[in-house]
Amino acid sequence: MSAGAVTGLRLAGVQTLALTRRSVVSEWRQLGNVIPGIVFPLLLAAVYTHQFTRVILLPGFPVVDSFLDFVLPASLVQSVSFGATEAGTELARDIENGFFDRLRASPCTRLPLLLGRLGGAVVVATAKGVLIIAIFLLFGAEIAGGPAAAVVLVAAAVLLVIAIGGLGQMLAILTGSQEAVTATFPLVFTSIFMSSAFFPTNLMSGWFREVAEANPVTWIIDPIRRLVLEGWSWSDVGQALVIPSVISVATVTMAVAALNRKLSSS
Amino acid sequence: MDGNTGSRSGDDVVIEASGLNRTFGEVVAVEGIDLAVTRGEVFGFLGPNGAGKSTTVRMLTTLLRPTGGTARIDGHDVERSAAAVRRVIGVALQDASIDPLMTGNELIRLQAVLHGISRSESKSRGAELLARVGLTGAAGRRVATYSGGMRRRLDLALSLVHEPSILFLDEPSAGLDPTSRLALWEEVRRLNTELGTTVFLTTQYLEEADELAGRIAIIDHGRLVREGSPADLKSTVGSPTLRVEVDPVFLESARRVLIGFGPARPARENRCAIGLDGGAARVAEVVRALDDAGVTVSHLELDLPSLDDVFADATGRRLEGAEK
Amino acid sequence: MSVATVDHSTNLGHAGMVASAICGRGMRRIMARPTLIMPVLLMPLIFVLSFTGAFGSLTRVEGYGTDNVFNWMAVYAAMQGAVFAGVGGASTTAEDIENGFFDRLLLTPGSRVPILVGTMAYSALRSTIPTTGVLLVSALGGLRLSAGPLALVAVYVATAGMASAFCLLGLAVVYRFRTMRSMILIQVCGFSLMFLSNGQVPIHFMNGWLHTVARVNPVTNVLRFARQGFLGDLTWSMTWPGLVALGAMVAVAGALAVHQLRRLAA
Repeated sequence: MSAGAVTGLRLAGVQTLALTRRSVVSEWRQLGNVIPGIVFPLLLAAVYTHQFTRVILLPGFPVVDSFLDFVLPASLVQSVSFGATEAGTELARDIENGFFDRLRASPCTRLPLLLGRLGGAVVVATAKGVLIIAIFLLFGAEIAGGPAAAVVLVAAAVLLVIAIGGLGQMLAILTGSQEAVTATFPLVFTSIFMSSAFFPTNLMSGWFREVAEANPVTWIIDPIRRLVLEGWSWSDVGQALVIPSVISVATVTMAVAALNRKLSSS
Repeated sequence: MDGNTGSRSGDDVVIEASGLNRTFGEVVAVEGIDLAVTRGEVFGFLGPNGAGKSTTVRMLTTLLRPTGGTARIDGHDVERSAAAVRRVIGVALQDASIDPLMTGNELIRLQAVLHGISRSESKSRGAELLARVGLTGAAGRRVATYSGGMRRRLDLALSLVHEPSILFLDEPSAGLDPTSRLALWEEVRRLNTELGTTVFLTTQYLEEADELAGRIAIIDHGRLVREGSPADLKSTVGSPTLRVEVDPVFLESARRVLIGFGPARPARENRCAIGLDGGAARVAEVVRALDDAGVTVSHLELDLPSLDDVFADATGRRLEGAEK
Repeated sequence: MSVATVDHSTNLGHAGMVASAICGRGMRRIMARPTLIMPVLLMPLIFVLSFTGAFGSLTRVEGYGTDNVFNWMAVYAAMQGAVFAGVGGASTTAEDIENGFFDRLLLTPGSRVPILVGTMAYSALRSTIPTTGVLLVSALGGLRLSAGPLALVAVYVATAGMASAFCLLGLAVVYRFRTMRSMILIQVCGFSLMFLSNGQVPIHFMNGWLHTVARVNPVTNVLRFARQGFLGDLTWSMTWPGLVALGAMVAVAGALAVHQLRRLAA
């Protein structure tokens, strides 16, 4: 690698780190936003565990000791989804109030502008993921695939956050409006319900089952859940990591393309 | 419960406050305010930003409870007979109190309902008031489409729907262009002279207080520092300065003449200056005396003290945002 | 020389006019800006679709009480919508306080309580929008009026009552804290209260702390009352506890709101 490329890479790295730090600090300040992302999924899990005790006995339902084991992946995904659009709303806010123009005028290269923000989301999502799993374990849940599986769980959730974050940032660049980005949260929230997160798809029927089976969230939740309930499996690990990775790469690429279009047109 | 409506022996005092106090936690916003406004007066409350004007108005209009002292409007205690107070007052606050999603007509109608005015009467009152403030054409549009000046005019119209005998205006011309301001002053004068409405007006503009108010109270850091008619207040800071410019050959004669009309004051080369005892009324005499002494005057000017001088005299500072 | 010197403080006719003017103003605002009502309408629709889709198989569990999950979930979603509608009504007041219009309402010469009553009435009327939306969508899913038109009466009474109670609670909070942001607290309370009830499953499906909480939760009785017409006939034994619960919630919330309104000038 040429000296110029090395310094370019290092510069990009430093810039990304700086913007990550800014984004983490801002998320920390908005602790009010982080707390619902932890309390709400836990509340849901707690309530469902105590009201679905008969449901887990239905024929066709995966073999579990308690609904708690079943719902762990859902709570994880739901928890990290709470902050996932934050990167996008922040970007939209920066665009709205002109800070973005200042950033653009600075010697900051393009990719760190987006990655830096996602960096913040990643840090927070990792923290939330670890916390959720810890609390579940405390309440008696078991991860059959062991600690390695737990790491895969968190990694998959984080990749999902990057995927949603990239989508949010693309929206932010295309619309420049915070409201538009925030409006995606209900969609994300619903799409988690319209998947295998809270109920196995084989026990659903009709159009809803078709929607759930076509939902990428299901493709991520199912392998993760198998890691929790059945144990380690390389194919499940592969599916759990590859699918969100592919989606992340796609959405971040689209966001960068949108950014380039916006910067070159103005 | 106090029921009587107002008449007192001697002057008919409609707004009175005694030791009015308001604290917000540690901060003392208003302290020891004593006021007495008689029926038909236009009373000006002058002071810089943050002096406590709006806080005082909110207490007098029952929107804020005093932490100490008392206030009575038309004989009704603002705390114990708040509803009775609200019957007789009209209020236009600093931020126009309107709902941007409603139209002018809808707001007038709502205001009428709040004051128990019948639909037919509110229609005619509304039309008349909107015409007065020049909003007839815009009345059917949502207030969100109004300019700042239009919103204030609508706010004024709303405050008059129930024909109150006492009107509170909190910084009514803040943010208005000069033409709108003059129109507002005209309307305030008309309300006062034609309808006899008592007006309590707060402002940070000297000119406004000077133009409109029969009596002024100056408030600074929550306290009343001066009170009186504009003329009286100005005279308290001393007599106006008369400056006369003459040919150097007449200088001594001029000085000898002028000294008889008041004490000498610092002046430039070729000029004499005195503090003119008796004020502007005596200028004619001075001119005659100079003429009799054979002095040719090339320039004469009279500098009257302004309310800004009054404020500076009372507080040691110039009024912020003062209009010159 | 003022004209309107009539004492209004004890005049019921005047109070009624003020209340209906405030209520009418609220409804006109919705027509002026229909997007105001979108979240209140959409969220319950999202709920009913997500929950009936994900948990449709609950009907296979013995003792659920119906063979069509819409018969159980529709009322839950409608009442959730009513809570949103109620809080939304209080949010209008929060907006009024923030932009100064509330001062003009406070200057009414009569009692200020009719303003509160008018806002509550507006919320109750508002709640018919999500309720109707949910019922229409659920009808497409097979919702059955087992008790005929009385079923609809029960659910509309219940949702109007819930909206009123939460509007009053919201007003108590708004009069105290005077900002829009304080509404989030009530939203969260309302959602949690709805969740910790027999909203999704019958009480005898629950165990542990959830069972206890749901039993003492007044919303449980309201749901029973509102739902009965879709599960069978209306009976007095299912009706009176619901009406008592509604009455109690409205009374308590109302007392809090009036108390805070009186303190408002302090």
